[in-house]
This record gives sequence, C-alpha cells and structure tokens, in this order.
Amino acid sequence: MEIIMSVLAGILFATGIYNILQKQMLRIIIGTALVSHGAHLFILTMAGLKRGAPPILTEGIEDYADPLPQALILTSIVISFGVTSLLLVLAYRASRITGTDNMEELRGNEHE
Amino acid sequence: MLTSVLLPFIAALFIPLISKWKEKVHTGIFVTLIPLAVFIYFIQFIGAGFEPVTREYSWIPSMNMNILFHLDGLSLLFLLLISGIGTLVAFYSIYYLHTSEQLGQFYVFFLLFMGSMLGVVLSDNVYVLYTFWEFTSLSSFLLIGFWNHRERSRYGALKSMLITVFGGLSLLGGLIFMQVITGTASIQGMIEQQELILNHEYFPMILTFLLLGAFTKSAQFPFHIWLPDAMEAPTPVSAYLHSATMVKAGLFLIARFSPMLTGSEWFFLFVSGFGIITLCWGSYMAVRQTDLKAILAFSTISQLGMIMAMLGFGTDMAIFAAVFHILNHATFKGSLFMVAGIVDHETGTRDIRNLGGLMTFLPITATLAVIASFSMAGVPLPFLNGFYSKELFFDASIHFNEGAQGAVAIMQSILPYLAVIGSIFTFVYSMYFFFGTFRGESNMDKLPKKPHEAPIGMLVAPAVLVLGVIVIGLFPELINQPFISHAADSIKAGDIDKSISFWHGIKLPLIMSLAVLAFGTILALSRPKWQGVYRILPGKLSLNSFYDGTVKRTETYSTAITNGYMNGSLARYVRLIIGAIIIVTFSIMAITGSFTISNEDLSALTAPEIFIALTMVIAAVGTIITNNRIAAILILGVVGYGLAILFVLYRAPDLALTQLIIETVTVALFLLAFYHMPQLEKKTETKRKKSLNLTIAIGFGALMSMIGISAHSSKAFDSISDYFLKTSHSLGGGDNVVNVILVDMRGLDTVLEITVLGIAAFAIYGLVRLRRHKDEEG
Amino acid sequence: MSNLAILPILIPFIAGILLAFLNKHIPLVRSLAKIITVAQLLFVSWLCYLVYQSGSIILETGAWKAPYGIIIVADSLAMTLVLTTNIVAVACVFFAPVSLTEKQERFYFYPFFFLLITGVSGAFLTGDLFNLFVFFEVLLMASYGLIVLGNGKVQLRESLKYVLINVFSSMLFVTTIAFLYAIVGTVNMAQIAQRVQEVDQAGILTVIGILFFFVFATKAAIFPLYYWLPNPYIVPNPVVSALFGALLTKVGIYAILRTFTLIFVHDPNLTHTLFIYLAALTMIFGVIGALSTHNIKLIVAYNIIPAVGFMLMGIGLFTETSISGTLYYLVHDMIIKGSLFLIVGAIAYVAGTSDLRKMGGLIHHYPVLGWMLFIASLVLAGIPPFSGFIGKLLLLQGGVAQEELLIVITGLITSLLILFSMIRIFVKGFWGEKSDVLPTKPVKTAPFTWPIAFLLTFSVLLGLGAEWVYPSVQSMAEYLMNPDLYIESILKE
Repeated sequence: MEIIMSVLAGILFATGIYNILQKQMLRIIIGTALVSHGAHLFILTMAGLKRGAPPILTEGIEDYADPLPQALILTSIVISFGVTSLLLVLAYRASRITGTDNMEELRGNEHE
Repeated sequence: MLTSVLLPFIAALFIPLISKWKEKVHTGIFVTLIPLAVFIYFIQFIGAGFEPVTREYSWIPSMNMNILFHLDGLSLLFLLLISGIGTLVAFYSIYYLHTSEQLGQFYVFFLLFMGSMLGVVLSDNVYVLYTFWEFTSLSSFLLIGFWNHRERSRYGALKSMLITVFGGLSLLGGLIFMQVITGTASIQGMIEQQELILNHEYFPMILTFLLLGAFTKSAQFPFHIWLPDAMEAPTPVSAYLHSATMVKAGLFLIARFSPMLTGSEWFFLFVSGFGIITLCWGSYMAVRQTDLKAILAFSTISQLGMIMAMLGFGTDMAIFAAVFHILNHATFKGSLFMVAGIVDHETGTRDIRNLGGLMTFLPITATLAVIASFSMAGVPLPFLNGFYSKELFFDASIHFNEGAQGAVAIMQSILPYLAVIGSIFTFVYSMYFFFGTFRGESNMDKLPKKPHEAPIGMLVAPAVLVLGVIVIGLFPELINQPFISHAADSIKAGDIDKSISFWHGIKLPLIMSLAVLAFGTILALSRPKWQGVYRILPGKLSLNSFYDGTVKRTETYSTAITNGYMNGSLARYVRLIIGAIIIVTFSIMAITGSFTISNEDLSALTAPEIFIALTMVIAAVGTIITNNRIAAILILGVVGYGLAILFVLYRAPDLALTQLIIETVTVALFLLAFYHMPQLEKKTETKRKKSLNLTIAIGFGALMSMIGISAHSSKAFDSISDYFLKTSHSLGGGDNVVNVILVDMRGLDTVLEITVLGIAAFAIYGLVRLRRHKDEEG
Repeated sequence: MSNLAILPILIPFIAGILLAFLNKHIPLVRSLAKIITVAQLLFVSWLCYLVYQSGSIILETGAWKAPYGIIIVADSLAMTLVLTTNIVAVACVFFAPVSLTEKQERFYFYPFFFLLITGVSGAFLTGDLFNLFVFFEVLLMASYGLIVLGNGKVQLRESLKYVLINVFSSMLFVTTIAFLYAIVGTVNMAQIAQRVQEVDQAGILTVIGILFFFVFATKAAIFPLYYWLPNPYIVPNPVVSALFGALLTKVGIYAILRTFTLIFVHDPNLTHTLFIYLAALTMIFGVIGALSTHNIKLIVAYNIIPAVGFMLMGIGLFTETSISGTLYYLVHDMIIKGSLFLIVGAIAYVAGTSDLRKMGGLIHHYPVLGWMLFIASLVLAGIPPFSGFIGKLLLLQGGVAQEELLIVITGLITSLLILFSMIRIFVKGFWGEKSDVLPTKPVKTAPFTWPIAFLLTFSVLLGLGAEWVYPSVQSMAEYLMNPDLYIESILKE
C-alpha cells in the first residue's frame, strides 16, 4: 500500500506542477494546493501505514500508528492554509489592479 | 619605518580640514612637507656600508598577514624616487593647480597613492604587498578621474582601473599559489624555497599570473593602452604616477622575484620578448602623436619596455643597467612631463601642430627641455645620464650567458637589432618633442594664450630634476657605489665591475649608439615625408578598439544573455528550476544506484483505499482538464476530502478532522476570490510547450515517487516516536499523543504555526485596507 | 542559564506582536523599535561573547530532552549569524522612518520586520529539522508581508512570483524531511547526523541530501535556481530590499552549510564536487546579470548571486580553510549587502530614478553618499584591506590547496567583473557634469547616511581588524569540520 500511496502522492505532485506551469492564476494556485496535498500524503506514507491503532492511548492496546508525522502534518496543513489564503488574496488584488489573471502578461522587465 | 608609510595616510585624514583654508594658503604647501620628511628619513640609509633591514609589525598574524618590511637596495632606490619626486611634484602642483580646484580631494588621493606606493616597495609579505598594490591602482583611478566632468577623463580612469585591477587579481592568484606551495607569505622566504616553485607542475601558470600583474601595471604591450588615456589626469599626476613611480611597480615586482625566476627559460623569453616589443612599439607610436603628453606617454611605455627587457636578460650587466635606468628615466621623464605641463599652462594647448618657436618666449623651460630630451634620446654627451644607461643597455643586449639553445638562442640573436630599432625611434620622438615645441616657426595666432615664461616656482621642480640628469651624467660614481650597486646587488649579487664611465673605447655598443644617432637624425629630419605610414598601421586593428569592443560587448552580451532567460515569466522560471532538479537528482540517483523497492514491511492492499486513490487521481487530473473555474475548485475539494478520508483510514483522526475543516474553508475562499475573475480559458499553448510541461510535471512526480519508495524501502532506524507513546501519559499528561506532541514536545512549532497564521492575517488585512485608502483617495 | 538561548528569538517575537497592536501610534512605535533593536543587539553581543567563552548553550524546549523535544542550539556559528542579523536590523530600523511612508509604517512594517528577525534568528538557532522548516515559514510569511507593503502594481506582480516559488520550495522541503524521516526515524539534526553516519548503504541518503540542497539552494539563489530573485528584491522599499538582501539568501546558505557539514558528509566526492561546479556557474551568471542592466538596484540585486557562489565554493572545497572562508564571507556579505541596498535606495531617492543613464554628477551634490558607494564597491569586490578580501583570500587559498584551478580562476575573474559592475554606478552616476535632471531642491542626506555608515564601519573593521575575528572563525570552521562535536554536545549519553 505504501508504494501505491507514494505513486498517488507523486501523481498529486505531477498534476500540481502541471497546473503551476499554466498561465492563469487560479490554475497556478490550485497547483500549489495539489502539491501540498501530495507533500502531506508523503509524510504520512513515509512513517508506514496502518501500524496499529490511532495514537490515542487506550488501555490494552500496544501498537499505535506513528504519532510524530501526524503532528508534523498538522503543523504543515495549518501553515499551508495560511499561505494559500494569502496567495488567494494576493492573486485577487493583483488581477484587480493589473486587469488580468494571466501570469504571462505579468512579466514585467526591470532591465530597461 | 612603519611611521613613514603611515604618515601619508594619516596626513590624508587631515587634508579635508586643511583644505578649508585653501583660499589663504595653498594646500599643496602642507603636502610637500610630507614626502620631504619621508625622503629625509630614508636618505640616511644611503652609504657604502648599507645592509638590508627587516622589520615586522603585527597585523593579522593568524592569517599569515603581518606587515613585514624588508628594506634593501632595491626598496631604497624606489623609496627615494617616490619620496623625492613626490616632493618635487607636490611643490610643482602648488603652481599648477589653482585654488578654485578641489584641492582637498586631489591631495587626499595624492597622499593615498604615495603611502601605498611606499608600502608596495617595502612589503615583504605578499598579501600586504597586494593590498598596497591595489591601492595604487585605485588612487590612480581617482586621480585620472580628477577632472571627471570630462568624458575622456572618465573613460581613461575606468580603463586604467579595469586593466590594472585585472592585473592585480592575476597577481593575487600567483601570490596565493606561491604561498600555498611554500607555506610562507614572505617573499624572501619564497625565494629561499625557490626550487619548490620552479619545479612545481603549475609553475608556468604561476609565472603567467605574476607577469600579467607586472605587465599590466608597467604598461607592457599589449596592456599599455591604458597609459595614454591616463594622461587626462592633471600633469603633476602624470609626471608622478604615470612615469616616475606607479608604472614602475611592475618592474619592481619583476625585480623582486628575479632571484627566483631568472633561471627559467620561460621567464627570459616572456620578459625580454614583451619588453623589447614594448620598446619598439611604444617608440614607434610616440612619433605619430600630436599631443605633447601623448608623446611622453608612449615614450614612457617604450622606456618601461626597455627596462623590462633588461630585467628579462637577467645578466649582471643587464640588471645593473636596468636599475640605473630606472633612476635616470625618473629624472628626465619627470622633468619633461613638467615641461609639458608648463607649456600647456602658458600657451593653453598641448597640440604640437600648433606649437613651435617657443624658445624665444620660454627660454628657461626650453633649456630644461633640451637637456632632458637629449638625455632621453641617448645623445652621446658626457653630462647626459640617459646616454650611460642606453650604452649599458646595448652592452647587455649583446652579452648573454653562453650555451643557450632553441628559442632562447634565437631570441638572443634578434635582441640587439630590436634594441637598435627601438632606440632609433626613441631618438626620433625625443627630437620631435623638443624641436616641434621650441624651435621652428611660431604660430602665435593659433595659441589660446599669449605665451610667456612660467613663474619661478613652477620651474624649480623640473630644474632640480634636470640638475639630477647632469650630476649623474658628470659624476656617475657619486650615486653608484653608495646606492645603485646596492639596488642591483639585491636583485642579483654579481661580481662584475660596476663602474660607469663615458668612454669604453670603440666597441660594439658605441657603434650601435652611433648608428642610432645617424639613422635617427635622418629619420627625424625626414619625418614629415613618411607620416603616411602611420595611417596604415595600426589603423582599425588597434588594441584600443579591441579594448573598447570588449567592454562594450561585455555589457551587450550580458544584457542579451540575461534578458534571454530572465524574461519575467513565472512558468519559465519554474520550468528551469524543476528541470534542473529532475536532471541532477536523477543523475545522482543513477550514479549512486540508489533506487530500491522492497516488498517487505508493507501494509496490505484494500479496496476502499484503492478506490479513494483512484478517485483522487481522476480528480487531480480533472483540475487540469476542466475549463470551468467553479468545477476546478470543487474538483480540488474532492482531492482534499479524499485525503481526509485517507487520513481516517490511516489512523489519523485528528488530521482528518483538521483537513476537512481547512479544505472546506479553502474551497470557500477560492470561490470568493475567483468569483469576480474571468473564466478559465481554453488552453492556447503550442503543442511543443504542452508536451514540455507534461514531461516536466510527470518527470518530477516520478522522481518524488521513486525517492519516496526508495526511502521507505531503506528504513534503517526505528522512529523516536516510541518515546512519545511511552511518555505521553506519564510526562505529557495526555492520552492523545498527537495533541501532546503538538502542545508539549513540539510546542514551539505550534506557537510559530499560529504566528504564521497571524502574520498572514495582518498581511491580508494590509492588502485589503491599503486598497480602500487608495480608492478613497482616487 | 540555558534559557538565554531562546531570547534572541523571543525578544523580536514579543516586540512584533506588541507593535502590531500599537500600530496607530507611529512615533511611539518608531522609538520602541529603535530601543528594542539596540537593546537586543547589546544583549546578543553579550550572549555571543558568552558562547565563545564557554561553549554552546543548548536549550531543550519544554524540558523534553534531546532528541525528543525541539532544541535550540546556540553554538558559535548560530550566535555569530544572529549577531550579524541584529547589526543589520539596527541599521534598517534607523533607516526605516526616512525611507518609508507613514502609511507603510502603519500597515505593520515593524511587526513584519520583527517577525522576520524572529524567523531568521530561529532558523540559525534551531537544532531540529522540522522546526527549521517552521522558522522558514515564519520568515517567509513576514517577507511576504513586507514585499506587498505599498501595494503597488509592480509589487503585487513580483510578490506573486516570489510567493509561488517559495511555496513550491517549502513543500519540497517538508516532503524531503519526510523522506529522511523514513530512513532515520528522527527530525533532530544531531541525531540525524549520528544515524546517517551509521547507515551502510547511503546512496539514497545522497539523493535526499541533494534534494535538501535544492530546497536551500532555491532560497540561497544558486545556479540554476536563482531566477526568481532579482526582480522581487528591488520592487519593495529600500529598507525591505536591504533586509532581504542581507538576510534571506544567507539563511539558505546557512542551511546548506549546516546540513552539508553535519549531516550529508558521507559522499563529498559526489555532492561537494557538484557544489564547486555550481558555484562557478553561479558566480558567472550572477555577475553577467549585474553587468546586464542600468538599473542600480538591479545591479546590486544581481550581485547577491556571485557572492552566494563564493560561499558555496567554500562548502564545496570542504576544507577547514575554505569553510573559514565561507564563514567570513557570510558575515561580510550580510553586512555589505545590507548597506549596498540602503545606499542604492538612497541614491535612487535623491536622483529620482534608478536608471543609471539618467544620472550624472551626483558627487557634486552628495559627496558623502558617493564615497560610501565607492568604499562599499571596493568591499564587495574584495579589495583589501576590507572585509570582502579576507573571506575571498581564504576561499582562494582553499581552492589552490585543493588544486581546483577552475573555480580559483573563475573567482578571480568574477571579482574583477563585480568591481566593474559596481564602479559603473560611481563613474556614470556620480562623476560627470552637474546634471540637470536632478530634482531642483537637494535632499538632506544625513538621516540616510548614519545607518549606512554604521554598517560600513563593520565592513572596514572586519577587514582591518581581522585579527580580532579570524581566530574565532577558524575555530568555528574546525568545529564544523568535526560534526561529532555538535552531535556530542547535544546527545550527551
């Protein structure tokens, strides 16, 4: 199962990257969201799946799933949420002010 | 000794204060005192019984960078030149520079230069030497750019800086090599271990590095091109830096390392070769110039070439002649520059085509000029020091160590001819300089000012130098035993008879001198007739256009290259970044052969998981395919909820809960933000770009999966989590281990995570509010 | 006693939160900010002294012993960098009121500023890999806040790209931590290092190491990952550019330095050799970028890149001398980049443009600014006796000793081109006729000047007074080249 989950996370990365390579802001941000899903899935998979019960200590149960990755994912999810929200507002404001949601039209060149 | 080097720097600090009173007292008066003091200090060392002195002052001992001064005959010669000519030039500048100029700046740069130059010739530690070396380049840059409102001035300053700093860095490279090889940063120490360097496999490169440093500084062909443009500096600067002292730093460097290098054939070939070419090319170019200072600049180049060649010869005779000529050149060239300055000052022009017949108006200046220029030409008269050193030069060019073979022998056989050719042109431009300016018809109407003799003060400095020319010419022994021979000895302890006399009998050198005199006179008289030759050579092939082209191309190519990839396109950046990651990481994976996949330690496959995984794949791909923005956002939600279900299946209830909430909020935010934005468009990209994107995306996904699988298959240690499970209840006081970790073991993470959210909130607030303000204003 | 180690993080953290709620009272906020940064600088200097005297201070947060809890490791390297960060911070805080509009100050400049310092200091101090990620996020989020400050069209455009690239690299970072966790089962850096040493078959660890390198290299702006850097660095206010230029890429370099001297040292022939080549390419492309433009801010921004190349060179050569060179260069570069961004910011302000072709003769109006630029250019190009030279010399010595001629020659040429790119600003902008394009009324430059002079003093002292600093740097390099020292100090059995 770990192999399949690794592949699934890889696919999430791939689709995320493909979206990031597009022009429209919405797609790009969707891409980042997919990439972060992929990353979180990787963290969980790397610790090994379905090894024991949920890490909530209960009498009589010896085997628990690895709690540390879960804690890390939680932190990461919250941070991703903060970044994504900012990104959304930023994209919204940028498209409002510049009048386009096409990143390729927002190149700009400070060289000249 | 340290004080004498630091004195100019310390004095430079006070110049800005002193220069405030420049209207009342010319700042130069104070400045003159400083080189004078240094001169008086060092002149005490002169004497037949002189022995080298070494002093060490602590600076950065832990990095092998102590201020180590080594005062030997060679340093002493340079020290006296620097301080002596410095005194004269400073004095001369009092009359040359008007008080309306920015005297403060001028004298600060002047003193910076002097101090650094003193440091260069005293330092035995290579890094300290390099430090002072670069400072001479920089002060030269600032002095050339002193009249920076002129375009030519800025051009010349930048050019000199680029070329000399290029050389300086190359020198640094060579010095580091030698230091690493020998383990010492002292030049004397390196010379003691010369075998290590000479036999090292990188010796040719070290030599190249050193020579590049010396050649650029001493304006050797083909790096000489900066020197003529440096003539934009005020004339005292040209006399001081660009003829008497700074340009001789390269010679000094070669002389310093000569004890180590003279044995090498490469050294002989390169140094003599480039020296003699520079001599010929410089003197040839000098004849075609029309600006007095340009004539002198090319003349300096050619004379430096001559000295360089002699250092390359490496024989006792040649070294002695070289040292002697360093002194002589400083006397006659220094005075000629000052003469050119006087002419410029009194007539308002330096264009030799408009000058002529000035002898009647400036008789004293003309007298000084005739002696100095005849000395430069090497006219055989007993009171001209230039003749003596030229004769020694000829002598050296026909007396080499015997038994040379191959390229060295060939070189030895052509050198005398080239020496004569170079000297003929030297003769021609010397005559041209004097006769063109002071004799012939006068063109009073072409002169901007009506000429009259310069004030006495302005004549003092060149007069002292010309007096030097005569005194050395008449009584060469006066300076020989106590002074020059020490300098020569410190380069190469030879046992030849180092006496200087006017009459050696009719020998080859004399015949060479007479040939120069004869051909020179003919060419000088017929000069106007073969002027046309100059239009052919060097023409467009000149090194100057090469330099200009290089500088220009550096900028245009840089712009072209940089604009080529830095086009502001996010997609392009991401493509390049991810492309690089894919290529490098895959290569590393292949090299280390680290892709592993093991069937052990896997959890079982179950239908629900596979079903959810498939759904997520379809949804993820769906975000790419759909053109409906709402649909895309909702499909993204499907992926997120899928992940939440996976969290449930994989025993992570807290995660599932959080993921559900956050996914819902995120989707809502997405909808909110993009409600007003345009629909997704049909993709308009070319097929090529599409497949490129696809390759990159799939490549990266595959890379991550492969590393993930390999990492999971290479599990080497148990997780530290067992500890958390064990202590969560007893030490953490909670049964939900994830929560205990979050609030206790990794509490710092959680605090910071909340901080991140907080900052995001403020940033968003700022984004929204600032706009409101703008709207209100607008 | 060990609690002191958290204070360099805690003080700016509390200051940031406090000032966020005082944002209506700008004069109060300004003076508070100044007092806090100066006080913190003094405190950090003292702490740094303490660490030099008596060794690393290690704090196990929440009293969870290492490797289980998050630890803060105030070792000599971390404290030196925190100290340098605070020096730059003081200059920036004094520069801010003259450079920012009141509105920008009100919209949380100071809170973002302090939280950026929190993130940077934390990144230097933490001994936990995941915690490093979290500190990265703090400093990145604060930098997002700073870069959009002002809210102009250009800022929005460039910050969007900046944020996106960083989001990608952050996600790669967490994923890579997960990969490493799969093998070694821990996130404590000392324990990771210890366990990596014990693994026999380390091929996959090399791959993961390279992935970490790419994550940090994106932040550090190493070839071929620096494309995102130049433009976003020049659009915000000069004081923000100075903070970014001085601190952000250096955090990336620090992370590479730490991980590739502590953890991934098992296959230096592969990894570190790769770094040498990348360093050479970074130098060349960076300096080419600096030569390509007439925008003075962009010239300085591009000059970040070759400097990173120099630092990477030292890590790649991987000898005690070269690591000392990297350390020296790191400290030097933080200070000089801070001052250069402030200088060009001030120049652009007084000249009313940042286009070099529209300037000229500024030296007649602003001599102090001109000479500061001149000296700063020399410092940057590594002309002795300033700070840049010492670091460069050590790096070149290391290169020669390892017979890596290619990088040595590249380094020398790059130095020349750096000087050329900078001196152009001086020659074209400051020399020449008094220009008419200048705004007619001259601007008072004294408030600009002091913070810059403050930073430049350090650049000069770090060069002339290298004897005071170098022995510590040397022992730091020795310490870094012996990862066991770090491991043992944390995992005392």
